[in-house]
Amino acid sequence: MSLNELSAKVDLTLSNLSILKTGKAKAIRFSTLESICKVLECQPGDILEYQDEEKKHV
Amino acid sequence: MNAKQILEILKVLSWIVFIGLCIKTGAMFISFFVSLFINADGASDLYMGLNLSELLAFNQGQYVVMAGLIIFLSGLKAYLFYQVIRIISKLNMANPFNEDIANLIAKLSGISLQIGITAIIINMYAKWLLKQVHFVYEGGGTEFLYLAGILFVIAVIFKRGMEIQAENDLTV
Repeated sequence: MSLNELSAKVDLTLSNLSILKTGKAKAIRFSTLESICKVLECQPGDILEYQDEEKKHV
Repeated sequence: MNAKQILEILKVLSWIVFIGLCIKTGAMFISFFVSLFINADGASDLYMGLNLSELLAFNQGQYVVMAGLIIFLSGLKAYLFYQVIRIISKLNMANPFNEDIANLIAKLSGISLQIGITAIIINMYAKWLLKQVHFVYEGGGTEFLYLAGILFVIAVIFKRGMEIQAENDLTV
């Protein structure tokens, strides 16, 4: 699925999706997470991953 | 009356005050120039009854310093209102917390502080001169020190607002 298709289905702007994709997002609303999971038919754990900030820089 | 209308009214008022202060500063400067080089009687009415003729007769150097400080103070006030006009012109209510506005508010605080300090210097100088020669000087302007403090607090809050807005902009 392309970003354009996802943007239309999730009702999120391309710029916001780009912010998510590039990892610049500071926070995500539960409603947004719910919409994405609904469209992609997945769980939040499938699309979210925790990374230790210190290990990321190393 | 919504915020936009109030801002427009404030902008018009700021322009009126700014132009008034420019006229005051210009008129004082011209009277000062005339009193020094053309006709000493100019010192008896520098602007709206400001009479420093006795000071000029007493000592020209002290007169130049005193009048110069008063003109400088008036010019600073005009500059302050010019910055207020810039803030109101740049303000965008859809996205108000930006760096330009934050810097302008900080600048306003700095200018107010300068005005307050200059006013204190003038008042102290006038007090010292009054021991030697009689002239009328109303003083005032020290309230700008309080304004500087208030603006500084507002600038700090504004910077925090910027951080919160940036975070909000990066919330999807």
